Amino acid sequence: MVKRVPDRVPLLRAEEVVKHFPAGLGASVKAVERVNFEIYPGETVGLVGESGCGKSTLGRLITQLLPVTSGNIFFEGVDLTKLGGEKLRQKRRELQMIFQDPYSSLNPRMTVGDIIAEPLENFGLLRGRAKDKRVQELLKIVGLNPYFNNRYPHEFSGGQRQRIGIARALALRPKLIVADEPISALDVSIQAQIINLMEDLQKEFQLTYLFIAHDLSVVRHISDRVMVMYLGKIVEVADSAEIYRNPRHPYTKALLSAIPIPDPDIQAKRRIVHLSGEISSPVNPPSGCRFHPRCPIAQVPTPCADLEPPLEEKARDHRAACHFSEKVPVAV
Amino acid sequence: MTAPVLQVKDLKTQFFTDDGVVKAVDGVSFDLHPGETLGIVGESGCGKSVTALSILRLVQEPGRITNGQILFKGTDIVTMPDDDVRDIRGKDIAMIFQDPLSSLNPVLKVGYQIEEAMEAHTRISGKVALSRAIQLLKQVRIPAAESRVEDYPHQFSGGMRQRAMIAMGLANKPSILIADEPTTALDVTVQAQILELLRDLNQETKTAIILITHNMGVVAGLCKRVLVMYAGRIVEQGPVEQIFHDPQHPYTWSLLQSIPRLDADRKDRLLSIEGLPPDLIKPPSGCRFHPRCRFRIERCFHDDPSLMDVGPDQAAACWVTMRRALAQDGQARA
Repeated sequence: MVKRVPDRVPLLRAEEVVKHFPAGLGASVKAVERVNFEIYPGETVGLVGESGCGKSTLGRLITQLLPVTSGNIFFEGVDLTKLGGEKLRQKRRELQMIFQDPYSSLNPRMTVGDIIAEPLENFGLLRGRAKDKRVQELLKIVGLNPYFNNRYPHEFSGGQRQRIGIARALALRPKLIVADEPISALDVSIQAQIINLMEDLQKEFQLTYLFIAHDLSVVRHISDRVMVMYLGKIVEVADSAEIYRNPRHPYTKALLSAIPIPDPDIQAKRRIVHLSGEISSPVNPPSGCRFHPRCPIAQVPTPCADLEPPLEEKARDHRAACHFSEKVPVAV
Repeated sequence: MTAPVLQVKDLKTQFFTDDGVVKAVDGVSFDLHPGETLGIVGESGCGKSVTALSILRLVQEPGRITNGQILFKGTDIVTMPDDDVRDIRGKDIAMIFQDPLSSLNPVLKVGYQIEEAMEAHTRISGKVALSRAIQLLKQVRIPAAESRVEDYPHQFSGGMRQRAMIAMGLANKPSILIADEPTTALDVTVQAQILELLRDLNQETKTAIILITHNMGVVAGLCKRVLVMYAGRIVEQGPVEQIFHDPQHPYTWSLLQSIPRLDADRKDRLLSIEGLPPDLIKPPSGCRFHPRCRFRIERCFHDDPSLMDVGPDQAAACWVTMRRALAQDGQARA
């Protein structure tokens, strides 16, 4: 596995990224709020959180499928948010995306060959025989029969469709792939096939992944580092073994305690950390720490309800945004 | 041991489609004892949900139960007149589904819908029904139940809607609650709370629970006994500890090896089950899992195994079984 060298140049750096969506009557949904992080070449960064936390929006901001409200996203030192038109289009070759639903993300009227060739055509890269050859090669790379290129998406299973989506993402030889819940629509026995494929491809093509998922056990398996999001903020970032062993944010702790482990003895002994109430509205997020109304260790009003905790280093390469991170109990 | 509350015997449910007959459930037998928690696990299309729907005779056209008996307290549901089945549904056997939002009527108050479930089976006054609805909402731990009973489904969060569904399911004190993927649409922290609630309710009310899920972790947390289904059949069954610690069917074993575990050391590779689940119009010859099985022997190609005892209360439909497969694997490596 690729280990992070602290002084290496990040492939991607997000600085104070904000995304607000208008919600009518002057209100706005604060989907992503002043987020900062780096992704280093060759690593897999996992991004986890529950529905509505902003993780998919963040993935779309990075690939510039959505414009930021403010903030900067540097990819190889170039600020993507300042690019437009042709310059952005050219940069996108190196930044591809894999989507959750392998049914709606492939055009049902196009053959698989045409779907995979489309990015090549968009950039006028290959034509005729050379293009066909590359498509067949890509099908082979993702473990499909190269002669399936004339078939249509409906002739494939969910797992095979996800392979087609991966082949399309690989067509332009990207550096960074943002995978948004790439396995959550698949059956259990197929999920492992796709995870293994993504790991193999990463080694073969020196890919960097941002792996977005709600399932922390999958994320921990595939990622070198994990970022946990809650209500538009990154609340914790650490090495994936470290975040499991030693969570420093009470939300991470609660998330870990809730994930079912397929072992009846362990399940019987585990204690769930109960979060009171529901996730707050991103239109009107709580003051101070956004997690404080649900936090089992919050001290209100001061400091948790009136002072926003910064995402700061709590241990080596381990950042958390909590006033009382030392009080988060260890071990799951 | 007490007499089973439910006995399913050689159940076959088939769908008569234009492309052929889909053998969705193909000879399933099991018993459910009073107060038991039984998990049915398997992937999409394995027949777990159709088994559940068959128990309540809710299988829709072009599907039909073509064989077998479903004995509820000794009476066969399969041959029962429609009116009698309607009496059982929601009263003796209740069911909750994956998506609580589409199971609730959006234009009726939650409380009214719970009262409706009671009034369908018993004559009670509106006042009594209302107080019982409030009591049920309290039982499923909905805060401020007295005012929440007046809310509409959209005013509830996903987790609260599933709680309301459970309240509705429990309204007539059923002997069996069938929960079909009750937590699949929910976030993990909410899922954990719903599972905890089901566990507590099972102990408080002694209602037997059949939990249908694809998630092995969910089964491990709630069920005492588990059935593993593949391609319309039960391939392995037994106490949950046995199935998880000493699985004997290669499918069960592979499934457990293929999921990343939160508590495991990060391994480099997951075991993947190659290939796809079979087409149930033309299932494979012999053992249905043989095309995907890494431990198959010649016999598996043509000889269909039935469930055989492989341990205390544990049975697997396999000619090889993991005990032998792993022993041979060890020999080969040595």
